Amino acid sequence: MRDAVRFHWIIWLGSAAALVVLLLPVVIVVLAGLTAGEYLTFPPQGLSLRWIANFLQSPTFFPAYLFSLELALITMVISSLMGTMAAVYLIRSRSKGVAAMRGLFMSPIVLPGLVLGLALYVFYVTTNIGLARTFGGLLIGHVLVTSPFVLATVSAALVGFDVSLEEAARSLGAGPFQAFRLITLKIIEPSVGAGAIFAFIISFGQFDLSLYLGTPNLTGLPYAMYISLRYKFEPTAAAAGIFAIALVVVSMVLSSRLVNLTKLVSNTRLRW
Amino acid sequence: MAATATVNEIASGSRRGAFGRPRSRLWLLAVPMTLFFVVFFVLPVLSLLADSFDKPMAGRVAPHGDFVLTNFIRFFSLPQYYNSALLTIEISVISSIVAAILGYPLAYVIAKIEHPTWNTVLMILVLASMQLDGVIRLYGMMVLLGDNGLINGTLARWHYIDKPLPLMYNVFGVIVGTVQITLPFMVLSLIGIIRGIHPSFEEAARSLGASRWRAFRSVTLPLTMPGLLAGMLLVFALSSSSYVVAALMGGWKVWVLPIHIFERISNSGQWQFGAALSTILFVINISAVFVYQAVSSRLTGGRT
Repeated sequence: MRDAVRFHWIIWLGSAAALVVLLLPVVIVVLAGLTAGEYLTFPPQGLSLRWIANFLQSPTFFPAYLFSLELALITMVISSLMGTMAAVYLIRSRSKGVAAMRGLFMSPIVLPGLVLGLALYVFYVTTNIGLARTFGGLLIGHVLVTSPFVLATVSAALVGFDVSLEEAARSLGAGPFQAFRLITLKIIEPSVGAGAIFAFIISFGQFDLSLYLGTPNLTGLPYAMYISLRYKFEPTAAAAGIFAIALVVVSMVLSSRLVNLTKLVSNTRLRW
Repeated sequence: MAATATVNEIASGSRRGAFGRPRSRLWLLAVPMTLFFVVFFVLPVLSLLADSFDKPMAGRVAPHGDFVLTNFIRFFSLPQYYNSALLTIEISVISSIVAAILGYPLAYVIAKIEHPTWNTVLMILVLASMQLDGVIRLYGMMVLLGDNGLINGTLARWHYIDKPLPLMYNVFGVIVGTVQITLPFMVLSLIGIIRGIHPSFEEAARSLGASRWRAFRSVTLPLTMPGLLAGMLLVFALSSSSYVVAALMGGWKVWVLPIHIFERISNSGQWQFGAALSTILFVINISAVFVYQAVSSRLTGGRT
C-alpha cells in the first residue's frame, strides 16, 4: 500500500488515461465479437456466440487464421535460432564492428513495413530468384522484422551473465561446447523462450509486409481483416480478433513466467 | 603462469567461454544472420534506392541502372506530394508529443511500483497491447469513432447531436489511431530509464524543501529526458511510416506519404516514383534521428 500513497493524483489520472487508450479498443473488439446484434451498440444488446460460430465456418477468416499460425511458427523457429546465435556473438565479441552490426540487425524495427515489403518485392523481381509472391518470400520478410526482437531479448539476458561460471565448468573438465550447453544455454533459455514468443506474436500480427509480398493464397489474418474493414464492420472479423487477442494474452502470460518483463524492458534500450 | 594469464585476461575484460577462446570460432555464430541481412535487407533496400533514380517507366519493376533526378524533381514540383510530406511530419510530431504526455505517467507508475503482481500485470497489458495486431486495434477504434459508431450512435440516439461528430476519416482520426498504436513503444522506452534513477535524488530535493512538482520538474524529468526523446523518435518513425493507420482511420482522405506510395505503385504501376517517395520517407526518418541526436546532446551537455 505504500505505493498507493507515493504517487501524485495527476500521475494516477494520467496512467489511467493511458490504460484506457491502450485497452478500450481491445475491449470493444471482444464485445463486438460477442454481441447478439448485427453491430455493437451502447448499451450492448446481449451476448451470443453466433459470430464465433460464423468465424469457425468462415471461408476467409478461419483459413487466414490458420495461415497466420503456420507462418508465425516457422518464422519463430528461424528467427530464434538466428537471433540467439547472433546475440551470443554480439555480447562476447570485442571486435570493433559489433555496434554497427547491432545497428543493422535492429534497423527493421524502424524501417517502414510497407517500404521493406516493396524493397523485397523489387529485389525478388530484379534477381528473378523465384521468391516474388511466394510463401518463402513472405517468410523472409517475417524473419527480418521478428529477429531484432529475439536479438534484443537474448542480449538483455546475456548482459548480466557472469562468464566465470562457464570458466568454472571448463576448469572442472567440461569441453567448450559442453560448458556452453550446460551453463550458458541453461541460463539464457528463458530469454530465448521469451524472444521466440515475441517473434511468434509479431509475425502473427504483421500486416504491412503482406501488401506487396502476399497474394490471395497467402493471406494472413491481419490482411483478411483489413480487406473486410474497408467495406464494413463484420462482427465475424471481431470474432476472429478475439482468437488473436487470446493468443497474445496467453503468450504474454507465458513469457512473464519465463523472464522478468520489467527487467527485460529495462535492459533493452533501443539506441541510435 | 597460467594463473597470471587468467588474471590478466580478467583484468582486460576478457570474456572467455566456449566461443570465447583466443583464435576462437565465435564469429561463426554471426554468419547466418549477417548473410541473411546482407542478402535480404541491405541489397533490397539498395535496389529500391536505385529504382528511385531510374527513368520513370510505368509497369517496370527492376532498377535499370540510370541516374536521373526526374522522380525527385516531380516530387518537389507538385504541391500534392511535398504537402503530403509536410502532413506526414506534422501528424508524426503531434502523435509523438501526445504519446509522450500520455505515456509518461503510466511508465512512471510501472517503473516505481514495487508490488510484483501488479507490476507483472501492468507489463503484460502494455506488452500485449504492443504485440496485438494493429488491424484488430484499429477495428476497435473504428467501431468507437465511426459515423455510426459507439460515440456518435449513442449521442444521436440520446438526441445530443443531429449529425455525427467528425471523429474519423480525417487528420484527427489518424492521430488518435497513431497514438493508440505507438503508445506502448513510448511507455517501454521510458520504463528502463525511470527505473534507473535512484529514488534518493528525488527524496533529496524534497527534503530540501522542493514541492513534489518542483522535485519532479527539476530532478526526475531532466534525468529521464534521454528516454523521453528516444521514445518520441520511435513514435515519430513508426507513425510516419504506417500505411494501415492512415488507410483505415483516414479513409483515403488523409494523404500521407505511405498512402501515396501504395497508390502510385498499385494503381498506376509507377514503381520508380513510388521508390522515390519511399526514399523521401526514409530521409525524413533519418533527419528525425539527427534532430534527436542534436537535441539530446544539447540537453545532456555533450554527454550521452
